[in-house]
Amino acid sequence: MSHLFIYWRVTVQTITTDVAIIGAGGAGLRSAIAAAEANPDLEIALISKVYPMRSHTVAAEGGSAAVTQEHDTLENHFNDTVGGGDWLCEQDVVEYFVEHAYREMTQLEQWGCPWSRKANGEINVRRFGGMKVARTWFAADKSGFHILHTLFQTSIKYKQIKRFDEFYVVDLLTSEDGKQIQGLVALNMMEGEYIAIKAKSVVLATGGAARVFSFNTNGGIVTGDGMAMAYRHGVPLRDMEFLQYHPTGLPGTGILITEGCRGEGGVITNKNGYRYLQDYGLGPETPLGQPKNKYMELGPRDKLSQAFWYEQQKGNTVKHPLGDVVYLDLRHLGADYLNERLPFISELAKAYVDVDPVKEPIPIRPTAHYTMGGIETDRYNETCINGLFAVGECSSVGLHGANRLGSNSLAELLVFGKQTGDGAAKRAAEFKEWDEKSITKQVKTIEDRLSALMNQEGDEDWSTIRHEMTDAMDKGCGIFRTEELMVEAADKLAELKERFKHINIKDKGDVFNTDFLYALEVGCSLDVAESMVHSALNRKESRGAHQRLDEGCTERDDVNYLKHSLAFYNEDKKPTIDYSEVTITKSQPKQRLYGAAAEEAAAKEKAEGKE
Amino acid sequence: MSRIQKIDIMRYDPEKDAEPYMQHFEIPVNETTSLLDALVYIKDEQDKSLTFRWSCRMAICGSCGMMVNNVPKLACQTFLRDYPDGITVEPLANFDVEKDLIVDMTPFIERLEAIKPYIINDDLNPDDGPTIQTPAQMEKYQQYSACINCGLCYAACPQFGLNKNFIGPAVIALARRYNLDTRDKGFQERMGILNSEDGVWGCTFVGYCSEVCPKGVDPAAGVNQTKVDSAQDYVISMMKCQ
Amino acid sequence: MTTKRKPYTHEMTRTWWMKKPFYRFYMVREMTVLPLILFTIFLTFGLGALVKGPASWQNWLDFMSNPIVILINIIALLGSLFHAYTFFDMMTSVMPLKIKGKKLDNRLYTGAMWIAVIVITVICLAIAC
Repeated sequence: MSHLFIYWRVTVQTITTDVAIIGAGGAGLRSAIAAAEANPDLEIALISKVYPMRSHTVAAEGGSAAVTQEHDTLENHFNDTVGGGDWLCEQDVVEYFVEHAYREMTQLEQWGCPWSRKANGEINVRRFGGMKVARTWFAADKSGFHILHTLFQTSIKYKQIKRFDEFYVVDLLTSEDGKQIQGLVALNMMEGEYIAIKAKSVVLATGGAARVFSFNTNGGIVTGDGMAMAYRHGVPLRDMEFLQYHPTGLPGTGILITEGCRGEGGVITNKNGYRYLQDYGLGPETPLGQPKNKYMELGPRDKLSQAFWYEQQKGNTVKHPLGDVVYLDLRHLGADYLNERLPFISELAKAYVDVDPVKEPIPIRPTAHYTMGGIETDRYNETCINGLFAVGECSSVGLHGANRLGSNSLAELLVFGKQTGDGAAKRAAEFKEWDEKSITKQVKTIEDRLSALMNQEGDEDWSTIRHEMTDAMDKGCGIFRTEELMVEAADKLAELKERFKHINIKDKGDVFNTDFLYALEVGCSLDVAESMVHSALNRKESRGAHQRLDEGCTERDDVNYLKHSLAFYNEDKKPTIDYSEVTITKSQPKQRLYGAAAEEAAAKEKAEGKE
Repeated sequence: MSRIQKIDIMRYDPEKDAEPYMQHFEIPVNETTSLLDALVYIKDEQDKSLTFRWSCRMAICGSCGMMVNNVPKLACQTFLRDYPDGITVEPLANFDVEKDLIVDMTPFIERLEAIKPYIINDDLNPDDGPTIQTPAQMEKYQQYSACINCGLCYAACPQFGLNKNFIGPAVIALARRYNLDTRDKGFQERMGILNSEDGVWGCTFVGYCSEVCPKGVDPAAGVNQTKVDSAQDYVISMMKCQ
Repeated sequence: MTTKRKPYTHEMTRTWWMKKPFYRFYMVREMTVLPLILFTIFLTFGLGALVKGPASWQNWLDFMSNPIVILINIIALLGSLFHAYTFFDMMTSVMPLKIKGKKLDNRLYTGAMWIAVIVITVICLAIAC
């Protein structure tokens, strides 16, 4: 009987393709289109664990940044991004980005994206946090939705893009020495069968990992699967300690309330009705309805989230049934303006916290939102495995550094999606041949491993493990970190990884087995969470989104830590943390200032320059 | 303030069951608990085999469509405080049930791909800069661009239930979205499918689709306005023949 | 390898429209066509009778005075009013009007159509009487 079982399992269907793209969100779709356009003879497999329009790009709201206005310059966008990233950005990458953003967003416009317009029909831009000049293109307050649907619908034009909807990629296939990509193995969710896809190049576009925290803005699918896969194959995860807490998420659910609200003039107040951000280097207070770039509510996200934490310590936050909050006040914008610019936000506030923003301020709190770090790539989105690319939130191409500016990540998907698609097409053309024997062996190993998991005995439960993981991460990798809490989190994660070996999958079915799927996702999340904690523990300074309260670690230390963290996977052990150089071209690290302080410093610099 | 909520969910395991059956659950809920929260809770704590699609939790991804007391709704937008006496949950109507609340969305996807839902225009070049489109021009198609592809309108539409070849509300609305976009020139390429009996003429304006749409797309208006286009197109082509 | 899938199709029953108030309303709307068809047939006969001569015409008038026929005609009138009500409502969706850039309010739109109905009715009755 078991003979038959083994026979069945050995015959995994194998197909070949040229470029395989894992993940069909903004980055994956843009890469697929780029590869199809770069070489129309290529066959492109676009593989996603959900239908493309469900990808989390859909939830992004605020907009996408590119230098647009006459008085804006590439240098401004460059400096905003590098400063916003607390000088941990790869500056050559940022230069490439700011140069190409406008064209990519124009391309998207021509593919049908309904960018909001000025009365004369030109593209409109709005202010966004940390940006000196307004340059954020927006599609009402559903920019991510419109970008994703435009890309998905445009991708239908290209017959060479073959989609594998609801296929969960369980592992990559590499050459014997692990240095060359050969393809992947995926689980057909509907059938419950594995399929091996031999590919000449592979793109990981699997999204971030903020679901390792309890309160997050993310959808259930953002579990770091691609990061874990690359990680386990020896690709380092870079700058994982930098997790962005978006300052304005709804209490309870963590649902995102866009930064666009602040770009349109929304203000944040504590329990005393006081706009407290002026006490945290973002002042002086700007008049109501007259937002000023890089002042007050238009400061960068890490500073706003950190200000909340301080206010909470001081007891100035409001006690809401769903937790401590502060208020985002949009009332002064008026019903008509809100309906035109922020209709989705009004819907969300009414549905999830029973607040009409026209009449009452919205309760908000910082929520885990975005992973700045990810799979290490070079400036062309290629990893250290030849032919394996990573793009979008799952990657660390070097754009965001220690803190991402809002509206840079949607633009990232477009600019680097294009670059990655081109690169993957090129690698596919250069590919020599697959190592069939090695592939067969790897496929068998993968199957055995997964079969073992499916039949594992024990009384542990992936949902309990996930809850404990997210609790530990909330405490250990919060907005402010301490050695003690980080060590506790690290120990907890090690314990959870051990306990994971004793989980029992209750649903033994083949058809759409989400018991098995979620277990695999939790397994990926645990590895990624571990890389975050250990990277954080080893960075003994405070920079961008990684802030420590420990003695000696509260300031930025450019002498010892102007470098990227690299986490290398060790099976059943904690990761090895190493470091790599930061590419600095035009912008030498200086004090990261906003508000009046920044203006003063800039004026001083200018005066000194003249002398 | 916590209370116990009764939930009846239609289950179906194709590998074990001859047909679907109802299963009763009881779980603790509070004022903010959504149906989606409840399903996630049941899977986490009570029954690992319960299977359903979900992701964003904020009614924008379109994954969690299902029948709630026989009304098509998104689970993340259904709040249990509105169902104190109990709630019945079934898979989205008019689609084949694969397992529990998972339905086969292939017919929807096939129709979506068939109407060429993309800008058809060979004269556009990004190096020329963005096209000009005024707010008034955008307004013409904007509501039809808000569709999240959740499929609730297909569950609501009795014509789709009776005639499995009917193109359906969301897809026709999407075709209209592109037909009305000033940047598009693909009107004629879409009319073939739209003009057919399974296109706009399969609709008898029941109107329930617009009633259940969570995004105010108003597909009923979209489909029936397209009938006007379709009729005009027919008359014009008849005159051309003479 | 055979599939483990076994998709289940819930068949739509003949009485699908009875299950929801929304669907029932739709069916009633559609069914108003039946009394209207009858009325149209009566009218057609009337036209024919008119052409044939005074005797036929008188026969037809007698026929139309029959209480059952009157009842049918009343039902047809109510049905047609109901049909007009739903039709005007649908018009606001199928042919939305814009006045100076703003969408015409539905109540004004349907109100205007009803006023037109009343005016035409009054004129017809005036000519007839």
